[in-house]
Order: sequence, then structure tokens, then C-alpha cells
Amino acid sequence: MIEFDRVSFSYGTRRILKDVSFSINADERVAILGESGGGKTTVLKLILGLIRPNAGGIIIDEMEINDKTEDELRPIRMKFSVVFQEGALFDSLSVKENVAFYLREYTRMSEEEINQKVKELLRMVGLEHAMEMIPEELSGGMHRRVAIARSLAAFESKMFLYDEPTAGLDPANSDIICGLIHDLSKNGKGFVIITQKVTDAIKVADRFMVLKEGMIIFDGQKEQFIRTTLPELRIFLSELNLILKDQ
Amino acid sequence: MIGEMEKEIIKLKELVSELQDFYFLSIRGLLGLMRKPFYFKDTIEQMDYAGAGSFVIVLLVSFFLGMALSLQLSAELSRVGLKMYTGSIVGVSIVRELGPVVTALVFAGRVGSGMASELGSMILGHQVDTLRVFGVDPLKKLVTPRIWSSIVMLPVLTIIGDAISLLGGYFIAVYVSHQSSTVYWSSVREVFTFENVFAGAVKPFLFGYLIACISCYTGLSTRGGARGLRRTTTRAVVISFIMIIVADFILTRILLYILGFSV
Repeated sequence: MIEFDRVSFSYGTRRILKDVSFSINADERVAILGESGGGKTTVLKLILGLIRPNAGGIIIDEMEINDKTEDELRPIRMKFSVVFQEGALFDSLSVKENVAFYLREYTRMSEEEINQKVKELLRMVGLEHAMEMIPEELSGGMHRRVAIARSLAAFESKMFLYDEPTAGLDPANSDIICGLIHDLSKNGKGFVIITQKVTDAIKVADRFMVLKEGMIIFDGQKEQFIRTTLPELRIFLSELNLILKDQ
Repeated sequence: MIGEMEKEIIKLKELVSELQDFYFLSIRGLLGLMRKPFYFKDTIEQMDYAGAGSFVIVLLVSFFLGMALSLQLSAELSRVGLKMYTGSIVGVSIVRELGPVVTALVFAGRVGSGMASELGSMILGHQVDTLRVFGVDPLKKLVTPRIWSSIVMLPVLTIIGDAISLLGGYFIAVYVSHQSSTVYWSSVREVFTFENVFAGAVKPFLFGYLIACISCYTGLSTRGGARGLRRTTTRAVVISFIMIIVADFILTRILLYILGFSV
């Protein structure tokens, strides 16, 4: 589904990614970990073709996307349901209008059908009561849940992409979001979650990739990740050990 | 040494690419109205923000501008016994030059900075990325309505501002400088020739287009959090101010030539 072949990316003179290569299947549940500024969100933007690499190839569903135009990228982006950092809800629209955004833009559904669909999606994330609220009235956790509902409204995607979905949330709200992410992957639809919080990643993902200074320093399954002795992963693992001890 | 040179080359490349991006945004944003989908609701909302929202501030600034100008001219002209020309000089200055320029500066300060900061925060909040993921062209959805609302609303505000400035001039001429009301208005009326009105009417269209393009471009190129947003807003206003003044000079020169004025 997603293939990176020796991808490099720079912002001006600052190198963000160096020769990054990996491949992810559509049914995999992958967490990309790393410190802030390490290039995690850049990876997500490259997958979606929102930015272009300086070198290397990106292949989505056996299609090289490097030289595609915005129009050509549209169907490729529709293969993903995306939840950006902090939800990225449209401030000027209500929760209902945010969730209905794609339905209004791209389908011929009647207002009645749109209402029904929006209610159904908001019920899935436990926010059917918040339909008429505006984003500034929502808590951080509610923001993310509305963003997840909106991403589900968009299209029949093959995979989810989550960018720091639990950043800045308290443990209770983080648990709700992780639960949602886990539930949505039950029908075999995989995801890539980008996060700094190893404790959240461990709850939902099976495969772990760690980015440091623009390079992948670890790529393996959950068991390998927990047992790794790589000194660079000490920070992540010490946090994880505390959690495992508590359990 | 080579590293430094490489950095300079990268900077130069970035500058060229920025100019290219600005050119594309300006053209595609303007022509966006010709291609489906049409975002009429967004355009109306922007017109309301740019036009109705700026109405009071334009009234206030224009009124005091007219009064200050009339006061200065009355004081100076009365020394040489030519007070009766106050109306015509206020009229020419306002209609041909000060009205369009001052209204455009006020518009850039209020509407341009608002556009830049709004688009900047949409970039930082990944809302523009979300639009692109949903298959919506941000230029058509965000830039085209802003460009057209500025092109339509700035000339309207300029006409209103000109009228209010002339009214401000009238108050000073009649109630402070004790001139005849009839003399003031008849000398103002003399100014309303095709050449003067045309020279003043063309400018706001170009200024509106420039302000919207500069503000949208700087907004959409925001990087680096709250500090980046502050930089964006400042940049949008400063560049708009400079471009208004420069464009005004160039346009004045061209219009004087076309309309057959000798300098």
C-alpha cells in the first residue's frame, strides 16, 4: 500500500529525512515514533503528496506519486482517512457542518440523508449531542473525535492516517481515542499512527518504526520493540517499562 | 566556502520559486471564478467582512482626512487670497490621489492583515491540508473569494470614502474658514470631469487585487507557529503598504500620459 524508497526531504537547508525506506501493507497497524521535529509529520505529508521529496520514490498502491499533479493526487488521497494534529476542524463551521463537509462538496445526498449520515458518524464517536456546537466550544478530546467522524464521512478509504491523535490529551481522553482507533481497525483496515506517546502506541499498534534525526533506527513488531536493547530507544522503553510494571 | 555558496544558491532558488508561486496564485486566484465549483457563499461572506466590516473605519478616516486637508489648504490659500479654490483642490486631491490611496491603506491594515492571519492559522492548524486531502482546491476555495471580494469592495469603499472626505472638507471650509457653501460645492463639482473620476476610479481595482494577492500569499506561506504567524501578518501589511504606494506612482504616471495631462 505505502512504499518509501530511499526518500530524502529538506526544508530549505534543513534536512528532515535521509534515505528513508519502508513499506506498509493496507491491513497493518503501524506506529511511527520519534521526538518532535524528527520528521514524523513530514512522512505523513509525503504519503499524501502534500509535499514532494527531494530524492527517492514514494509508491502508493503500486503508483509512483512524486510527479503527480493535484488532480491526479486526488484519487490517491482518497485511499486514506486522515486525522491531522489537533483535529484540524474548520473553525467557522459547526460540528455538523464539519462532518458533512465532504458529503456536501462531493455527493448528491439530500439534506435529510446528510443529516442522517452525520448523526450516525457522530454516534460512532459518542458525540451525537454536539452536532450544533462550534469547534471552539469543544474540548481537545472532542476535537479529535469529531475529526475522526469527519474522516469517516469522507470516503471508503483503505487505510487510516493519524497524526498525533492523543497529543495534549489527558489519560482518560487518550484512552477514548485509542479505543476508537482500535475499534475502527477491527474490520481489517490498517492505520499509521504518528505519535510521541509510546504508551498510546503500544495499545493500538502491532508494528513500530522509530525515527531519529531523519532516519529510521528501528522497524519491527511489538515483541521485538519491547525487547530491543537499542540505546537510542531507552527513553521510549523506560516510559513503557513503567507502564508494564504498573500492569 | 562551498557550503556557504550552496546555501546562497538554495536561498536564490527559494526566492525564484516564491516569485513563481506568487505569480501562479495571483493568476489562478483571479481566474478561479471562471471554473466550477463556484464558491459564491464564501465570496459573499468575504465581501461582507471586507466591505461592511471596513465601512465605519473608512468613514472615520475619510472624514478626518477631508477635514485636515481642508484646514491646511484654507490656511495656506487664505494667505494669498485664494480661499475660494479650497473645494477644487480638496476635490482633486481626494478623488484622484488621497481617497484611493488612504482607503487602500486602511483596507490593507484591516482586511489584508485579517486575510493573512486567518489563512496563516489555517495552515498551522492543518486546515488547508485537510481541504487538499478532501480534494478541494485551496486556491479556489480560499483565495478566489478573497481576491474578488477585494476587487469589488475596495472601489465601493473608495467612492464612499471620497464622498465623506469631501463632506469633511465642506465642514471645515464653511464652519471654520467661513467660506460660502455654494462656492465650495461648485468648485468641487468642477473637479468631477471624466479624466479625474477615471483616474481615481481605476486605482482601487488594482489596489484591491494587490492587497488580496499579497495577503493570501503571505498567509498561505506561513511557517513556524505563533512567531511565524506574527511575521506573516506584519509582512502582509508592510508589503501591501509599499506596493500600494509604488503602484500608485506607476499608475498615476500611466494615467496622466493616457489622459493627456502634461507634467
